[in-house]
Amino acid sequence: MRRSSLIPFKAGGGFLMALIVAAMAFLACFALGGALGASKLANAWTEGLSGAATVRIGAEDGAPEQQLGIVLDILKSSEGVIDAVPLTTDEVAALLKPWFGATPELADLPAPAIVAVTIDPLNEPDTAIIQARLDGAAAGAVYDDHGEWRGRAASAAHAVRSVAIGALIVCAFAIASVVILTVRTGLSAHKENIATLRLAGAEDRYVAGLYQSRYFWLGLLGGVLGCLLAFAAMIGFDAMPTVSRALPALELPTYWWLVFPGVILFVVILCILAARFTVLGTLRRGA
Amino acid sequence: MILFENVGFRYGRGPDILQGLNFEIPDGEFTFITGASGAGKSSLLRLLYLDDLPTAGKISLFERDVATLTRDEIAWFRRRIGVVFQDFRLLDHLTAAENVALPLKVAGAREAAYRDNVAEMLHWVGLGEQMNVRPPHLSGGEKQRVAIARAVVASPDIILADEPTGSVDPEMAERIMQLFLEMNRLGKTIVFATHDLEMVNRSKQPRIDLSTKTTNNGMAA
Ligand SMILES: Nc1ncnc2c1ncn2[C@@H]1O[C@H](COP(=O)(O)OP(=O)(O)OP(=O)(O)O)[C@@H](O)[C@H]1O
Ligand SMILES: [Mg+2]
Repeated sequence: MRRSSLIPFKAGGGFLMALIVAAMAFLACFALGGALGASKLANAWTEGLSGAATVRIGAEDGAPEQQLGIVLDILKSSEGVIDAVPLTTDEVAALLKPWFGATPELADLPAPAIVAVTIDPLNEPDTAIIQARLDGAAAGAVYDDHGEWRGRAASAAHAVRSVAIGALIVCAFAIASVVILTVRTGLSAHKENIATLRLAGAEDRYVAGLYQSRYFWLGLLGGVLGCLLAFAAMIGFDAMPTVSRALPALELPTYWWLVFPGVILFVVILCILAARFTVLGTLRRGA
Repeated sequence: MILFENVGFRYGRGPDILQGLNFEIPDGEFTFITGASGAGKSSLLRLLYLDDLPTAGKISLFERDVATLTRDEIAWFRRRIGVVFQDFRLLDHLTAAENVALPLKVAGAREAAYRDNVAEMLHWVGLGEQMNVRPPHLSGGEKQRVAIARAVVASPDIILADEPTGSVDPEMAERIMQLFLEMNRLGKTIVFATHDLEMVNRSKQPRIDLSTKTTNNGMAA
């Protein structure tokens, strides 16, 4: 006995809807990839900074050598500070080089003294307390733990993540809408056919099952297609020399490829659920 | 047992099609429904296969008031009711055999379990050669026989037949009549709607006449 579907779905009828799903899956991959990349980038920026701080002692505030000793004492006796080492004149010159160029007379200029502070990342010292102690003993010494910079990097990453989550929600919404729309159209086109199934004793969930298996395949087709395109696009994007040079830190984490099976699974489940509840709801309302 | 108590029915806000119907069809009985064209035979069967609810009165089926059934219960009740629709209601994209197998398939039976049964049914109605033909390529009489095979294949408790001999020659009509009598001997309740009074008069089965609202056993219908 031949085996035909109990509902005469048109062979090419779902292809357009699968293409829309593919487009949404493609966008979802980029949204997720972008969110992962942004998190990684923010971590890379802040990680290098979170174990370090600096104290700058202005050159104009009297005798730097004398103040340096006091500052080092204060730092070393502060909780959370592991080490404090003054930079040599050469190291300071190297730091200043991009602004002043390689001037041999730099040593004669009143350059600020800089102390590199190693702090315990798990027990970061309180910026305000250290600054207050410095203010009391060595006016002009400024403690900088890059807190502001780290905060800005974190909030930029957070913003990118929010946008990505928003984009995912929009994609999910678009997929659910196109499934609901096409299932409803299908139900009304196959109304007589479905009435016959019901009269033969089919429960609503049996009819829903027929749609679920069809939308499983359409969702899988769309999801795989969209993810393949996104994969190809990301490989191509990464291979562009201008991109990797401009954004050296925009390397995705090693598990980034999990985005693709994740998006496919998400799309397929969404298609099945949207189809199921549309059929059950429409039949219950007596369509 | 099928019980009608003061049943009335109309489509939407249309005129009353059925009014004040009272009758009882005991289990295992063969009953004719007669009446002129438009008298409401198909409408009455429609109430019995739960496609509509009565707009007045009460119908009890398998000891339940049909108005209280959930959608799932309606589906389960329909598995105990085989119907030969006046317009057949075959699915054009399925073969004759797939159409016959429909009630078994939607009830969750496996194909291996019913394949032989379906083939046997089709042979029985004389369509052994047309198993893999789709309804658009069958004659009216052949479609009717596919519809009959589908109605009885799942061995339902009640068989509703709406003019099941309407599209066939007298010889086939007689065979079909014998088929329903045979099903009745096996204990099935048969409700057989027809306007072929000659056939009804030849047999001694009880009848409900919708034109005159009488039953042949004197009970007011
Ligand atoms: N779906 C419907 N909507 C509105 N009116 C309907 C509908 N179906 C049938 N009718 C009307 O109900 C009345 C009874 O129709 P029904 O089909 O039950 O008669 P019948 O006895 O089966 O006739 P026939 O012997 O020609 O098959 C008719 O007047 C018909 O016009
Ligand atoms: Mg009729």
